[in-house]
Amino acid sequence: MSVEEQVRDIVSRIAHVDKSIITREATFKEMKADSLDIVQALVAVEETFDIEIPDEEAQKFRNFGDFVDFVEKEAAKKG
Amino acid sequence: MKALEGKLALITGSGRGIGKATALRLASDGCDIIVNYFRRRETAEQTAEEIRRLGVNATVIKANVGDVAKIEEMFDTIAESFGYLDIFVSNAASGVGRPIMDIDAKAWDWTIDINARAFLLCAQRAATLMEGRNGKIVAISSLGSTFVWPTYTIVGVSKAAVEALTRYLAIEFIPRGISVNAVSASAVETEALKFYIKEGLMKETSQLTPVGRMVTPQDVANVVAWLCSDQSYMVRGQTIVVDGGTSVSPWLSGDVAKGDG
Repeated sequence: MSVEEQVRDIVSRIAHVDKSIITREATFKEMKADSLDIVQALVAVEETFDIEIPDEEAQKFRNFGDFVDFVEKEAAKKG
Repeated sequence: MKALEGKLALITGSGRGIGKATALRLASDGCDIIVNYFRRRETAEQTAEEIRRLGVNATVIKANVGDVAKIEEMFDTIAESFGYLDIFVSNAASGVGRPIMDIDAKAWDWTIDINARAFLLCAQRAATLMEGRNGKIVAISSLGSTFVWPTYTIVGVSKAAVEALTRYLAIEFIPRGISVNAVSASAVETEALKFYIKEGLMKETSQLTPVGRMVTPQDVANVVAWLCSDQSYMVRGQTIVVDGGTSVSPWLSGDVAKGDG
C-alpha cells in the first residue's frame, strides 16, 4: 500500500469520512475534520511511519495532498 | 549532599512548560530525571541536555499517556533500565476547548484519558517501582477543577478527577510509604496557555492576580519540589493552590501589590 493510501486510511478512520471524499485537493474542512481529528491523525501517522510532524509544519498543509507530500518526504528520509 | 541525590523521578510531559521547570528544579536538587514527551523529541532532548548540565542523569522516553499500551511500554522500559522509581509527577495534559453543546464523546475521551486516566495507570505502575523507597507522587491540576472558565469544561472536569484521585491514592498508598499530593495553578505563563488566551488577556490576568504578576512554571515547580521532599511528610492527599492569591480574593486586583489596594 502506498504512503498516500495508508494516510488516507488513517484519516478516513479517525475523521469518520468516506475515502472517496479524501482527494489530494480536499481541505480538512471539506473532510469535516475538526482540530482533534487533525491531532489524532497526525499522531497516528507519526506512529505508523515513525516520523515527526511538527505542528508548525502541519499548519502549512493546505489540503490532504500537502499532508501526504510531507509524510512521503519524511518517510523517505527514514529509508 | 543534595536533598534528592541518588533519587530518580519520572515527569510526564516534561519537554516544556511546567513539566520542564519541574524537571530542572528536581535536577538542581540532585535528582536523576526521566523526561517523558509525546510529540516533540527535539524539545525533550534539549530539556534532557539542560538537565545533564546540572550534573545529573537524564533519560528521554516517548509515550502518549492517553494510550494504555504506551504507558505500559514506558514503565516496562523504566523497570528494565532502572528497576526503581522515587518520584512520579503526573504533568502531561491535553484538552479540547469547546462550548458544552459542541463536546462529543471523542473530545471527552481524549482529554479524560490523557489528564485523568493516565494519572491512575501511571500511579499504579509507579507504586510497584517505589517499594521500600518512600516514594512521592505529585499531580499537576488546575483551578479549572473548581472555577469555571469559558470552553474549559472537559479539562476542568478532568482536573477535578485528578484531585479526587489524589485523595484516594494518598490514603491507599500510605501502607506503601508513598505520599500523594497535587499542585493546582491558575493560568501559568506557558506556551500551552497561548493556545487558550490572547496576549492582551495574559496582561489582564497578571493585573487581576493580587500578587501583581502571573504564575510562572518555576512557581509551580518549587511547590512540587517541596512535596517531593521530606519536609512535607505529613501533607497527604492535598491540592496546594499556587495562584498569587487569585482564588481567595477574586475581587482584588494586582493594584494590591503596588499598595493601591
